[in-house]
Amino acid sequence: METPYTDHLSAADYEHVYEPAEDSFLLLDALEADLEFLEKQLQPRLCVEIGSGSGVIITALAKRLSHAAHCLATDINPRACEATRRTASRNGAKLDSVRCNLTNGLRRRCVDLLLFNPPYVVTSDEELLHQQGISSATERNLVYSWAGGRRGRRVTDILLEQLDDILSPGGVLYLLLLHENKPDEIVQQLARLKFKAVKCMERHIPGEHLYILKVARIVN
Amino acid sequence: MKLSTYNFLTSMAIKGVKVGYPLKLTISKKDVVESEFNPVFIERLLPKLDWSAVYGAAQVAELAEDIPATQPENISDDEQLLQRLHHLLFEIDVLEGQMECPETGRIFPITDGIPNMLLNEDEV
Repeated sequence: METPYTDHLSAADYEHVYEPAEDSFLLLDALEADLEFLEKQLQPRLCVEIGSGSGVIITALAKRLSHAAHCLATDINPRACEATRRTASRNGAKLDSVRCNLTNGLRRRCVDLLLFNPPYVVTSDEELLHQQGISSATERNLVYSWAGGRRGRRVTDILLEQLDDILSPGGVLYLLLLHENKPDEIVQQLARLKFKAVKCMERHIPGEHLYILKVARIVN
Repeated sequence: MKLSTYNFLTSMAIKGVKVGYPLKLTISKKDVVESEFNPVFIERLLPKLDWSAVYGAAQVAELAEDIPATQPENISDDEQLLQRLHHLLFEIDVLEGQMECPETGRIFPITDGIPNMLLNEDEV
């Protein structure tokens, strides 16, 4: 997969939208490593990235799958929706941006390939509430992109509870996690929800140990 | 927003809404963008789409004469229809407009090609 151009995004954009970093590139690398599975086996018809931010991940995927899949990007932050649309357009990728919370605006059980690099940084929920109280809307946008509350799982846990309603019968989720999010606990939590999760890639970067979890339904 | 995306959108997340589908679409500004035709993909995508919403979108986009009101069988043999579906679903880009929840009348605006489906906390 080609790494998308981002030269159209400026420091002013990154005041409102998460700038692609090691975590974004790990998710891209995991998809790249799994391309044979994605293209030959899964053959997704609908691909969705939740919290697309700058849009680099879904743009790279949309370029690669081009006219064989429909790609959507969601974000609650309007500046991120707009940045994603611009990134797609700069790179000639076909995708649509939708402003919504997780996949709440989408029909049930439609998504064949779901990507999520969640706000995973461990923060106190109090700190998050405090931020909501005092920050301007623009500052809040950026805080929402990384602040994950207790164990960094505030948003991830909500998504996992909804996963059965989101994924198509054969659908697959690639989820980025931090060691502090307790990935092994999440694997067990998913097993209770009748999903099989495996760590398909991991990487140490200064100060963080990141994982990509690949999640699919347990087939009886 | 392509009309393929429209087919996947619902207001079901609103508290008390049972179906929330299809949303009532209004287009005030649209663009036509050329896109490579892949008949195999259109055919694979069809089982995922709701035909009544496909036809509804065609009516709003003034392409209703191109699309039958009910889904024909053996669509794979009809290259012309697949081409028309491709045009409707992937080449019409809605830039400005709105979608309305069929049950509550809640409006979801489409601005600069981006539909805003975000609900307030008191709506969910």
